[in-house]
Amino acid sequence: MTKTAVSGPSAIEVRGLSKRYPGASVLEDVNLTVKPGEVYALTGPNGAGKTTLIRTLTGLAFPTKGKVFLMGRNVHEDGPRARAYLGAVVEAPARFYPQFSGTENLTMHAKLAAMAPNGVRVSRDRIREVLALLELTRMADRKVAEYSLGQRQRLGVAAAMLADPKVLILDEPTSGLDPLGINLIHRIVTSLATSGCAVILSTHHLREISTYAHTVGILTGGRMVDSVDLRSRQAAYRFRVDDPQGAAELLERLPFVRRASSRTPYAVAHLGGESRVPEALVALSNGGIRVYEATPDHFDLYEYYRERVEQA
Amino acid sequence: MLTLLGLEFRKLLGARSVRIALLISFLIPWIWSLAPRLQQVYGLVLTSGFQVPAISLITSVQFVLPLFVALSCAEMIGTEVAQGTLAPLLLRPIDRNRVILSKLITALIYPALLLLVLLLGSFLAGARLGYGDFVGGSGLGPGGFIGQGALSSGAALGQVLRGYLLGALVMAPIAALAMLYGVVFLNTSAAALATIATLQIMRLLTVFPESFQQVLLTTHLDLFLRQGNISQSLILLVIYTAGFCLLSVFAFDRRDV
Repeated sequence: MTKTAVSGPSAIEVRGLSKRYPGASVLEDVNLTVKPGEVYALTGPNGAGKTTLIRTLTGLAFPTKGKVFLMGRNVHEDGPRARAYLGAVVEAPARFYPQFSGTENLTMHAKLAAMAPNGVRVSRDRIREVLALLELTRMADRKVAEYSLGQRQRLGVAAAMLADPKVLILDEPTSGLDPLGINLIHRIVTSLATSGCAVILSTHHLREISTYAHTVGILTGGRMVDSVDLRSRQAAYRFRVDDPQGAAELLERLPFVRRASSRTPYAVAHLGGESRVPEALVALSNGGIRVYEATPDHFDLYEYYRERVEQA
Repeated sequence: MLTLLGLEFRKLLGARSVRIALLISFLIPWIWSLAPRLQQVYGLVLTSGFQVPAISLITSVQFVLPLFVALSCAEMIGTEVAQGTLAPLLLRPIDRNRVILSKLITALIYPALLLLVLLLGSFLAGARLGYGDFVGGSGLGPGGFIGQGALSSGAALGQVLRGYLLGALVMAPIAALAMLYGVVFLNTSAAALATIATLQIMRLLTVFPESFQQVLLTTHLDLFLRQGNISQSLILLVIYTAGFCLLSVFAFDRRDV
């Protein structure tokens, strides 16, 4: 798990975002914030509006209603300044000019990135560095037309991180990658977030993302139906008891318990740490509650996602 | 802006359609220079190398050059959309207007490039006829190919260069129109077809009153052949070009990509 996201102003802020086409509403009143250093995973069934949301976040599409801010700048009204901090891959696989080599494509991107207001030149060393990070050194001088799907996808991530972005937006970044490639992308995303970059990525790989994402947003039918803070889910414990409702009420009253609920035959409590488990057991025992089992309540993101999507 | 222009030219010259167009533009003059039945079919006898550029331009400007210009300029947007490279371009911290302006500038220069190659091919193809003084016309000056008596090589060259410059100006609104349709349709085929169809429909409007015809773009496509005061036609071509360019910028500004 990455370090806790930095508190303070949001790096990405979406307020009341709606997007309608004639005869169809694709996004409806979407709100989200991502702080610097936070990894926000966007998920949902096919056709939920994830790609439209990502395109609207990056300024490629224009909202019907609502606003999007990147590092405090409106991406649709002050595009060049807002996108000065942005690195993004919005297609899978990432697209490049096939007649030019990987290095040439990245050099073009570097020159375009330097056109930002107060933009800094991206050096050739940086281009070589990102190519090496994405394990593309061997293919660097070959035409992109010769690249495999996975290599193009990695080149896309390389282009996105070229100018040291403070905001990284990736649409299905691991699409087409083998397990090693997926792991590489996850390590790079984690590393960027650790250094303060705010990351939004859309994905279907829920079990993998739950290992390093801070927040998961579930989008269904154009609406953000839930936003799960994965960090707070880590310190939950479940107690198999004879009276789950009574146990939950008793645990709720304890000062170190943040939240307690019943899920028959369990009472689930967020204790704030493993060290509080004996105290909770003593409290339950003193309250006349029989405890048969106490285990960490691992949050199954996939199961939670499945339930929420079916409910929506 | 220079970065964007450099990128656009690099892409333009790398496009297969452009390379084919440039090659054909270079080869067309050789058809006329070496044609054995030119006199039988057109009643024309070439007496000077300066006449080859004229016949190359006159025969190309009706269909071949507009087709090349429409296709390649439509491709400047259409191919970017099809191969998915427009989105990464717009994700960079560049104003959308600068992106479309760089494409428009490149599109407007492209016809001049085509005509430059056509001219170069014409001069090479016409070399066997010589470039000295001759009796007759260059085909792009007063009197057409018949001329008005003796014509010095300097005057002939001046007429040819004037004709080709006007030819490039005549192609500019077609390039701008193709770009506009490119922005509207985001598709090469649709944009190129719409451009050619627009020109063809304008040509069909000869059945409408004279005053209406004077404002049609196609009425002025033979500007390079006209002598005397051509300012009215020039102004109209500039209005068409500027108008199509402005509409392109406006249409692209809030277009979802």
